[in-house]
Amino acid sequence: MSQRKIKNIFVTGKIDPAFIGDSIAKHSSKTAIGGHSIFMGQVRRDELDGKFVSAIEFTSYEAIALEKMNLIREEIFDKYPLNCLHVHHSLGLVNAGEICLFVFCSSAHRKPAIDACAEIVERLKAELPIWGKEIFEDHTHQWKENN
Amino acid sequence: MEIDIISFGKISEFIKNQRVDITGISDTDALKIYLEKTFPEISQMKYKLALNENLIQQNTQISGNDLVAIMPPFSGG
Repeated sequence: MSQRKIKNIFVTGKIDPAFIGDSIAKHSSKTAIGGHSIFMGQVRRDELDGKFVSAIEFTSYEAIALEKMNLIREEIFDKYPLNCLHVHHSLGLVNAGEICLFVFCSSAHRKPAIDACAEIVERLKAELPIWGKEIFEDHTHQWKENN
Repeated sequence: MEIDIISFGKISEFIKNQRVDITGISDTDALKIYLEKTFPEISQMKYKLALNENLIQQNTQISGNDLVAIMPPFSGG
């Protein structure tokens, strides 16, 4: 069993681009790293019958989500030679155009970082109990469905 | 026997968190039948159960005071 403790991936509201910038900057001291791969999810201003999405409100069953993310993290570290891996997901309201997901993988060479990043994004969308409620400009809503 | 029910996402709009008497029901397969009868909306949709914060993959025994979560398909990211 891994000794890594369960990390809290959740942040309230949007993920600030300045936080993402700081996160990148912090890796300059980790000189074994040769490649970073980053995925950012952004709230899309989708249209439905002439109405536009103004925000998504995210909720989660946090206990299960964090446990599951921890498991995914361990499996990804077993599968790919990563130096580090960071995942942040919004809870609560995130406006259209704002960032709601930030996945950041680093390795000595590009391929493991790119492959691990893609796999984590697919797995967290499918496996973490998180729900997005799309709120339209007229305050009606529909529940987001992942493709 | 009583258990606590919580729900998430779209399902939370019509199934409020509540304590229910499920005397005579001893596993999650039987609980699903009970839930779909009590809350007909969920029989029309995909949902998953969690028992005491563990996702249910196969039929599982239920005990008094267990916590059952009813969850629609996930849509994070």
